[in-house]
Amino acid sequence: MIIDRPMDRDKLLDSYIKITGLNFARGHRAIFNGANLNIPRGKVTAIMGPSGIGKTTLLRLIGGQIKPDSGEILLNGRDVTKFKRRELFDARKKIGMLFQSGALFTDLSVYENVAFPLRAHTKLPEDMIRDIVLMKLHAVGLRGARDLMPSELSGGMTRRVALARTIALDPELILYDEPFAGQDPIAMGVLVQLIRLLNDALGLTSVLVSHDITESLSICDHAIIIADGQVIGEGAPSELRKSESPLVKQFLNGLPDGPVPFHFPATNYRTDLLG
Amino acid sequence: MVDFFIKVGRSGLEYSSALGRSGLFLFHSVFGLMLNLKGLRLLVHQLYKVGVLSLVIIVVSGLFIGMVLALQGYSILVDYGSEQAVGQMVALTLVRELGPVVAALLFAGRAGSALTAEIGLMKATEQLSSMEMMGVDPLKRVIAPRLWAGFITMPILAAIFSAVGVFGGLLVGVDWLGVYEGSFWANMQSSVDFKEDVLNGMIKSIVFGVVCSWIAVFQGYDSEPTSEGISIATTKTVVYSSLSVLGLDFLLTAVMFG
Repeated sequence: MIIDRPMDRDKLLDSYIKITGLNFARGHRAIFNGANLNIPRGKVTAIMGPSGIGKTTLLRLIGGQIKPDSGEILLNGRDVTKFKRRELFDARKKIGMLFQSGALFTDLSVYENVAFPLRAHTKLPEDMIRDIVLMKLHAVGLRGARDLMPSELSGGMTRRVALARTIALDPELILYDEPFAGQDPIAMGVLVQLIRLLNDALGLTSVLVSHDITESLSICDHAIIIADGQVIGEGAPSELRKSESPLVKQFLNGLPDGPVPFHFPATNYRTDLLG
Repeated sequence: MVDFFIKVGRSGLEYSSALGRSGLFLFHSVFGLMLNLKGLRLLVHQLYKVGVLSLVIIVVSGLFIGMVLALQGYSILVDYGSEQAVGQMVALTLVRELGPVVAALLFAGRAGSALTAEIGLMKATEQLSSMEMMGVDPLKRVIAPRLWAGFITMPILAAIFSAVGVFGGLLVGVDWLGVYEGSFWANMQSSVDFKEDVLNGMIKSIVFGVVCSWIAVFQGYDSEPTSEGISIATTKTVVYSSLSVLGLDFLLTAVMFG
């Protein structure tokens, strides 16, 4: 296991996202406390950690939707935190993000949802847009659902349509926010396969944030575990499983109590009850 | 005591920061309207949703308010034998005051609340976030067309309200109560001044349009992305818009006619 390992030069060249000294607080609660992490290029990286630890926040920080209090977030060698509004919107054309809810536009059909980024950023003729949309929908197995409205889709289908929309512009990086949450086993299996397949077929860098350990470890090449605003473990899934760290062990084995306590900090139980 | 000052200070800071945010928000959205075919198409769609769909409530309310004005005005004026002035009274009241004010209040209730709820729900379901992550600025794509639709439709709705109101006054005053039609129109024509009355009423409705649309879209955009947050934001839209319209109406009236 590696904790905050200083990076060697090769590793630096290999990482698509490099975060150093990240500090971010919400109100008085520190979410990230000098976290450092690297996301390797062309691989599937899973970021895992107990809920409420700021995994989604991390994706928003990478996407530049929120700014950190301090620290550097290098995206392909350029610091996201220093982007101007316009640069940020340009940079985002190369990033796809799959939201937990899918976030499809409810007033547009499945077809129009997938066509949305193409219409917004390209001047392609309509018949070419149609071809691209159908290809992307075919990739997620929903070419036949093109005329449905988002309200007519099941949860798993919504996420697949959202995935088709995310890959519409052929991004370099895809961020998945809890892709497996609330999915039935079949939908989950489909998604797991799609994430792996898309990453390899399109040569993407994929980052998925999740607390579904089994699924995440089964598809990722690299895993990062976050707790207490720090990276507590990272490496290949097999390395992590061998880890001796009690925190990593507790998380991977799903033990209710351990370094991450079962109880939210509180005063003594006895004095609380008896006054 | 210290706690009290801390509370006052904190809420003061919160209000000023919300005001600053909404100012910046207005600036970016007003100048964010896309001046191309796509932008025009989005604007037309919103003009339909905000303007055309508000027509029913505006026309029906205008008609009834005009009718009530004529009825009330007649019953008072007839005591002085000057019931011919009912047309003038209805027209002046509508064009100067009730047209812009009541249309704005109805607009806030009908279109403003819908805008807030729609934008708030788009935020809660991460549609705005996903748009941002696709490199599309929601201020340009979602907010600007709605804001401009409000700016444009409000004065037109107010004008339609006043016109229908005058027609309502005509129905009651002339057709029902028997005021002579010639003096109904003649008195109105001679007393309603275009610049003094119509234009000033128009200016009022433009100001109300800006304020109501601004409040509606900002409350939606700034709402807490939860069901409770959206309900609070929608309420705020109606309450803030109504109070601002009534307060501003007094100020504008004082400047224009005082």
